[in-house]
Amino acid sequence: MGKKYIDVKKIKRRILLEKITKVLVVLFVAVIPSIPIWLMYLGLIAQAFSSKVTVGIIPSGFTLKNWRFLWSTIQMGLKKYPNIWPITMNSLYLALGTALLVTFVAGLAGYALSRMEFRGRTKMMEFILALHAFPSIVLLIALFVLLNKLGLYGKGFITLTGVMITKAALEAPMGAWIMKGFFDSIPWDIEWAALVDGCNRLTAWRKVILPLVLPGFAAVAVFAFLAGWAEFIMAFTFIREDRWWPLSVMIYHVIGEYKFIDWGFLAALSLFYALPTIIFFIFSQKFLLRIYVGGVKG
Amino acid sequence: MTRLKNLSRKMLPWIFLAPLIVMIILFWVTPVGITIFLSFTNVTYKNFVKFVHGIEGAFNYTLENFNKLLGGDPYIREIAMITLLYVGSVLSINAFYSLALSIAIVYFIRNEYLSTLMRVIWLLPRITPAVVYGFLWIWLIAPDSGPLYQLFAAMGIAPQNWLLERPYSQFLMIVVNGYVGASFGMIIYTSAIKSIPEDLIRAAKVDGASDFQIAKSIILPLLKWPMLFVISWQTLSLIASYEQILILWGSYGATRAAGTTVFAIYAWFKAFEMGEYAYGATVSLLLVAIGVVLIFLYFKIFGFHKLMQPSKIEV
Amino acid sequence: MVSVKLNKVSKYFGKVKAVDEVTLYIKDGEFVTLLGPSGCGKTTTLLMIAGIYKPTRGRIYFDDIDVTDIPPKDRNVGMVFQSYALYPHMTVYNNIAFPLKLKKLPKNEIDRKVREVARLLKIDHLLDRKPSQLSGGQQQRVALARALVKEPDVLLLDEPLSNLDALLRVYMRAELKRLQKTLGITAIYVTHDQIEALSMSDRIVVMNEGRIQQIGTPDEIYSKPANTFVASFIGTPPMNLIPCRVTSGKALECPGFKYVFEDEIAEKILKEHNEIYLGIRPEDVLITSKEDSDTEAVILVVEPIGKDLVVTLQLGDEQTIKFLTPSSTKMNPGDKVYLKFRRDRIHLFDKETGRRMEYIIKVGEKE
Repeated sequence: MGKKYIDVKKIKRRILLEKITKVLVVLFVAVIPSIPIWLMYLGLIAQAFSSKVTVGIIPSGFTLKNWRFLWSTIQMGLKKYPNIWPITMNSLYLALGTALLVTFVAGLAGYALSRMEFRGRTKMMEFILALHAFPSIVLLIALFVLLNKLGLYGKGFITLTGVMITKAALEAPMGAWIMKGFFDSIPWDIEWAALVDGCNRLTAWRKVILPLVLPGFAAVAVFAFLAGWAEFIMAFTFIREDRWWPLSVMIYHVIGEYKFIDWGFLAALSLFYALPTIIFFIFSQKFLLRIYVGGVKG
Repeated sequence: MTRLKNLSRKMLPWIFLAPLIVMIILFWVTPVGITIFLSFTNVTYKNFVKFVHGIEGAFNYTLENFNKLLGGDPYIREIAMITLLYVGSVLSINAFYSLALSIAIVYFIRNEYLSTLMRVIWLLPRITPAVVYGFLWIWLIAPDSGPLYQLFAAMGIAPQNWLLERPYSQFLMIVVNGYVGASFGMIIYTSAIKSIPEDLIRAAKVDGASDFQIAKSIILPLLKWPMLFVISWQTLSLIASYEQILILWGSYGATRAAGTTVFAIYAWFKAFEMGEYAYGATVSLLLVAIGVVLIFLYFKIFGFHKLMQPSKIEV
Repeated sequence: MVSVKLNKVSKYFGKVKAVDEVTLYIKDGEFVTLLGPSGCGKTTTLLMIAGIYKPTRGRIYFDDIDVTDIPPKDRNVGMVFQSYALYPHMTVYNNIAFPLKLKKLPKNEIDRKVREVARLLKIDHLLDRKPSQLSGGQQQRVALARALVKEPDVLLLDEPLSNLDALLRVYMRAELKRLQKTLGITAIYVTHDQIEALSMSDRIVVMNEGRIQQIGTPDEIYSKPANTFVASFIGTPPMNLIPCRVTSGKALECPGFKYVFEDEIAEKILKEHNEIYLGIRPEDVLITSKEDSDTEAVILVVEPIGKDLVVTLQLGDEQTIKFLTPSSTKMNPGDKVYLKFRRDRIHLFDKETGRRMEYIIKVGEKE
């Protein structure tokens, strides 16, 4: 031991080699496979705003003509699509309604699961977790029959509402799960501390508890909103009249009609539809990640 | 008086839970019942309206659907194979590829901003509305004009039609869903990797481990549970997922040509394209049964508390 | 074994200076302790010596080899972490064998070495267990075994005893010291516990806010603190620092009393200063008769700590001081006592810089 020779040159060479290997691994595992994702979104933006696009993503010539659907109706031969704005309102109605319902139902249930002692509490939580894991989409045919039985099928606005309630019901177990987590993470001692400090129960809630649970509610609401906004299969399967389609369904039909013909228009329409999602995502990325980790749904 | 108070205290949790329970009964339990019920009937588009209105004699009870599912239907074998291919391949992307991805992103990339950027990029397919995501793929692989098509053409791989030519179409199905699924594993794994105590990594470095050796001997073994969780959870969601297949191919004919007819979408086509509601429900019932059995197994094997903490590592 | 030299080593995290121009020489086989409050930069310094952090500035040498850019793997250091950092998925045996496996030693040699070090640390009966099945003390030994098995040139210890209970800690202190001396290994020990530092070290490096405050033997650190920080950090209870004003020549005006030095040196030292701290350790304050006393004070609080009492006194209007006295002494709150400071144990610090004054003079004399 002791007098041993450190070959600095050799070590430095090895370090360099390791670094290069690491870069290569990152390149081949994370960067190169992400090329399609880059292509997609760069292309989406480039197509939406330029008159001519080379290799799919290199724009030239700024134009807004792809956005003409905002002020005129989409027409393809004899097929006329409904105006974009009522359709957008449908999507908004679907998303907001889902968010509202889920937040209400999940807030109450999450509070009970987190803060109240009752028989069967553990069983209830297990059941909710199981529902959360269960792929609800396989129940679609049965849900279709159910909506028919309840007389909610083929009735325009009422059907849309039916889709909204169904969507909320399918999202609710996950919401309850997340809310429970949020309520669990609040140190409830501070409620007592607030009471000791001279707040009455109501002001304790308003001043101390509410600011703490608000992020939880906001997260669940945002999450449910995005789920409602992106909802496709149920709306596509259940809603017959094009007047009551949400954006997702209309875009699906328009894509079928316009692909290969007018990518720019489709890109603009898609961007218009995806915008709220992207904005929400940018502003609440950390928030949403936390939910994804806590209440994962594949 | 106190009895009443006691009673109300006991009732309170259930009042809070009532809306959720009503929703669950109406939209989860009842549909499962309906699925089972439908499977034993001969409801098709011909007698559907009468069936809905409860007109007597509208339908018969039969075991025919199960006969079909267990051999009468000539396509079932192929569909089973495709489902296996689909679930197996996407699952390995979700569970194993995303593991390599996560280690690369949060352990090999040391720059905080670069690491976050990569995570956001990989999350995009998950957060983008399904219809838009599907559209973007249709555009990427569109013959001649699609950038990805051109990229592959430049490398000498250019099938005429990615959507309809096997095996490219099946490869496409796996990749499209794989990109969405990879982020699931990534979310779980990255948060698990970040929760490994810094001292453990430092100790390994002092002990003489290189970054690759640390990944292999320390990080991988510690991610055993998160990996199991991702596999279990994703198996469940994959057997039933068909949204992207529906968006990309859209009709039974197309999926048959492309070889992308998985069980879940077969059920959908049977019911909503061909009007064979009862048979569609039977196919769904198979998936419901698999789902229930798997969930039951997971609870038995892992236990409730472990399932609650997907990214927890054992330290 | 090697000597370790740090030459003006700094480490910044963003704009925060965790370690600021630390220069330090540790002799071959020496046991040196980095002592300071949490966040003083001692652990960062240790991690730089290990090679886990790279200094922002400055160089580190092992003997005369510059190791600044060399990764931990090639430095041949062993390290024990505060959290022990045992690999939870490996058995004790595999934990200890891990560094040797990475060195690609032959299997039988690994086995021999693991068993040897396990015997040395009396954990040979635990080799098949997982870390989670061990007590804190056992885990600590495993961590130590893992650090020693590769026969490191330098042993780095980051608060290794802080998670043990009090009794075990006292035992392990002696054990560690014995082990280090038998193996003749250069050891760098990080702690915030002055008792550990004073009882184990050949030399102590006191750090605060990323800077070295004083380097010295335990005795030097205790009896000649270089500044007010060291003075108030070492000793329980710490040294009393009484703010005084230099009035004329060798007289000090202190809260509630006047203090006059008799010797010439004091006059020479005091000449340059206006405001100073008079430092006196609690055990150097004596009770005496009124005639012989330096000052009088009123007893505020009496705390028994076993064989001694810690007595808090009021001096003047606002100043309090503490002193130690055997438990047998009668002390009642409210009583007046007469105090004498042991003249040869009085410390003087400049109020502005906090520096020890006699120290400055001595340095000056050398030049």
